Amino acid sequence: MSAPSVVIVRGRGVCPRKGEIAAPVLARMYDRGIGLLTDQADTAAGLRALFSPSDRVGVKINTIAGRELTSLPDVTLPFARLFSRIGIPEKNVVIWDRTNRELKAAGYPLNAAGGGLRILGTDTAGVGYGPEPFIHRSIGSRFSAVLTDLVTASVSFAVLKDHGLAGVTAGLKNYFGAIHNPNKYHDQNCDPFVAELFDAPPVRTRHRLTVLDALVVQCHRGPSYHARWAETAETLVFGTDPVAVDAVGWRLLERLRKGKGLPTLEEEERPPRYLLTAERMGLGRAAEADIRIVEDEV
Amino acid sequence: MDSMDRRSFLKTAAGTGVALAAASGPFLENLYAFQTTANLSHVEARYYRKLPDREIECLLCPRRCKLGDKERGYCGVRENDGGTYYTLVYGKACARNIDPIEKKPFFHVLPGTTALSFATAGCNVNCKFCQNWEISQSRPEQVTAVDFPPGEVAAAAEASGCPSIAFTYSEPTVFYEYMFDTAVEARRRKLRSVVVSGGHINPEPLDALAKVVDAVKIDLKAFTSDFYKTYVRGDLAPVLDAIKLLARRKTWLEIVYLVIPTLNDDPREVRKMAQWILKEAGTDVPLHFTRFTPMYLIKNLPPTPISTLQALRRVALEEGLHYVYTGNIPGDEGENTFCPSCRTTLIRRRGFAVETNEIKGGKCPNCQNPVPGIWA
Repeated sequence: MSAPSVVIVRGRGVCPRKGEIAAPVLARMYDRGIGLLTDQADTAAGLRALFSPSDRVGVKINTIAGRELTSLPDVTLPFARLFSRIGIPEKNVVIWDRTNRELKAAGYPLNAAGGGLRILGTDTAGVGYGPEPFIHRSIGSRFSAVLTDLVTASVSFAVLKDHGLAGVTAGLKNYFGAIHNPNKYHDQNCDPFVAELFDAPPVRTRHRLTVLDALVVQCHRGPSYHARWAETAETLVFGTDPVAVDAVGWRLLERLRKGKGLPTLEEEERPPRYLLTAERMGLGRAAEADIRIVEDEV
Repeated sequence: MDSMDRRSFLKTAAGTGVALAAASGPFLENLYAFQTTANLSHVEARYYRKLPDREIECLLCPRRCKLGDKERGYCGVRENDGGTYYTLVYGKACARNIDPIEKKPFFHVLPGTTALSFATAGCNVNCKFCQNWEISQSRPEQVTAVDFPPGEVAAAAEASGCPSIAFTYSEPTVFYEYMFDTAVEARRRKLRSVVVSGGHINPEPLDALAKVVDAVKIDLKAFTSDFYKTYVRGDLAPVLDAIKLLARRKTWLEIVYLVIPTLNDDPREVRKMAQWILKEAGTDVPLHFTRFTPMYLIKNLPPTPISTLQALRRVALEEGLHYVYTGNIPGDEGENTFCPSCRTTLIRRRGFAVETNEIKGGKCPNCQNPVPGIWA
C-alpha cells in the first residue's frame, strides 16, 4: 500500500474579515487541493478520479456549533458546485446535516426539492432515518436516509475543532451526524465508536473524500465556539485516507494550540485515541511517518 | 384520547421513515416540503450547574454530562444553549395510552385499574434489550410528539377514569421537570402518580421526586457492574442507591428483573440480589422476574424459558422475600399474590387482567395479615 497523500492548502487572505470569504482565493484553494491530491492538472480531471458523473454526491457538513463555527455556505456551496464540471447535475448534489433547524441557524437556505443544489436535514419530511438499527461492532444506530438511500458517494466536509471528549473532531467524527443517536457514543473519548461508525458499510462504502475546513479552527474548549480560542488559519486539508487526513488535522490543531500556549491534547489526557483504533481496523494511516503530506499556498 | 395500542402508537410516533425517499426513484424529486418533525420545548432544566465559558454540568443523573454550548447530554433531550440548560421535551409526549397498571408492572398499586401512561423521547442509558427503543433511543426531533402539558395530562386521566398517571415507556428521569409538575398537578386532583424507571438518577432529584409521587418501579437489570457496563451502558451502584433511598423514604417500591438467557440468569447472582433486597429494602418489596423476548440489539438469544423464571422466583422466595412474581407468562402461578402468612390466594391475575381480588382493607381476609401496597 503506498503512502496516502494528504494535501494542506493555505489561502492567504481567504478570510478577510470574520464571516467573510474571498471567493477567488477559495476557488484557487479548491483547484490546488484537488489537483495535488489526485495528481491531475485541472479540477475536473481530479474530481473525475474520485467520482463518476452518475454519482449522487452527499456533502456532509457539521452545523452543531451554529453560524460562528460551521463551514459557511460561501465555502461549501462553491465546493458542491464543482461537481457540475464532471457532469453531475446540481440537483444530484446534496449538502446535508442532521436537522433543518441547525442548517438554518448556520445560515443555510434549505432546498429539499427545488432546482439546483439540495440543502436539507435528515429531519426533512420524507427522509428521516432507517426504521431498524444497523448493528456493526459496538454501533447500533439508525442511519440517515440521506446517506443510505439518496447518495452514492459521500464527502465529509468537516470543521476542524478541538473536542472536549474526543480530543479532535474532524472528518471521521463528522459522521456522528449521520446516525440518530450520536449522544450514545461519547463515552471513553468516543473510542472505539468514531472508528467503528466509519467502518460500518453505510459510511465506509460511500466515503470518497474528506475536506477539513480549517479556515477558522477552534483550538480549545470545542466543539462550541469561543472567540478567545478560535484561530483564523485560512487552511483547507484534503485527503482520501480518512484516518490520515484527520491525523494531519490533529497535528495542525496541536500546532495552533502550542501557538496559543495551550498544553497538548496528550497532556490534557484526551488525544484522539480513535485514530489509532481506526488504523488498527485498517481504515487508514495515523502515524505521521506513514503519511505523505503535501503543503502549498495560494 | 388516543386509543391505539401501545405498540402501534410507538411505531407511528417513531416512524419518520424513509418510505417516500425509497419510493421516489429520481433523486429527491418527490420531496415537497421543508417540514420538520421537531416539536421542542425550551424550559430551563432544574438540576445542573453553570461552569465557565458557557459550559454546564448536568446534575440530574450519575453521568453528570459536562456540555459545551449547543451540546446535548447522553439522553439527547437536554441541551446547553448559551450556558443555560434546557429540557427539550417538557410537555411533549411521543407516546400516551391507557394501560392496566399491571402492565407497568405494579401488582400492589390499585390492582385492576388503569393508568394514563405517557413518555417523551430519550433515555440516559442504552440497554441493548430495550423494548421501547424506538422512542427511548431517539432524540426529540426523531419522534412525533404532541403537546400534552401537565394540566392536560391530569385532566385526561380524570376524564378517562384513570385513578393514576404513569411516567413510563422511555426513561422518565430524562423528562424530570415534566414528570414532576404532572405529579404535582395529579396530587392536586387526588390522582396517584407512578414512575417506571431504571433508577439511574441522582439522590437529590430522586428525593424531591419521591415527595410528589406515590410509587416507583425500578428496573434492576442485573446484579453485576459488568452487565451494566456492557449491556446497559450505565452503572449498577447508583441504581442500588436509588432503591435504598426509596426504601428509606418508604415510597412504595416494586422491582423488576428482566431475565435474559445466559446474560443475567445465574441463580447464584439472583440469590445475592434477593439477599441484598431483603437487607436494604425489606421482605415486602414485590420482585418481578419478567420474560425477555429478542429485541433491538439483542436478537440472537431466545425468549427466556418459563422454567428459568419459575426457578428464579423460587430462589427469591427461599431467601425470604414475600411477594415474588413472574411476568410475561400469562397463566403462570407466579402472576398471583399469595398471603405470605397463610398462603391464601389474594389476587388472581391472568396477564394484565385481575380476575379476583380478595384483599379487604389492605389485609388478608383469611388471617388478617396486612398486605403492603396502595389499595385504594
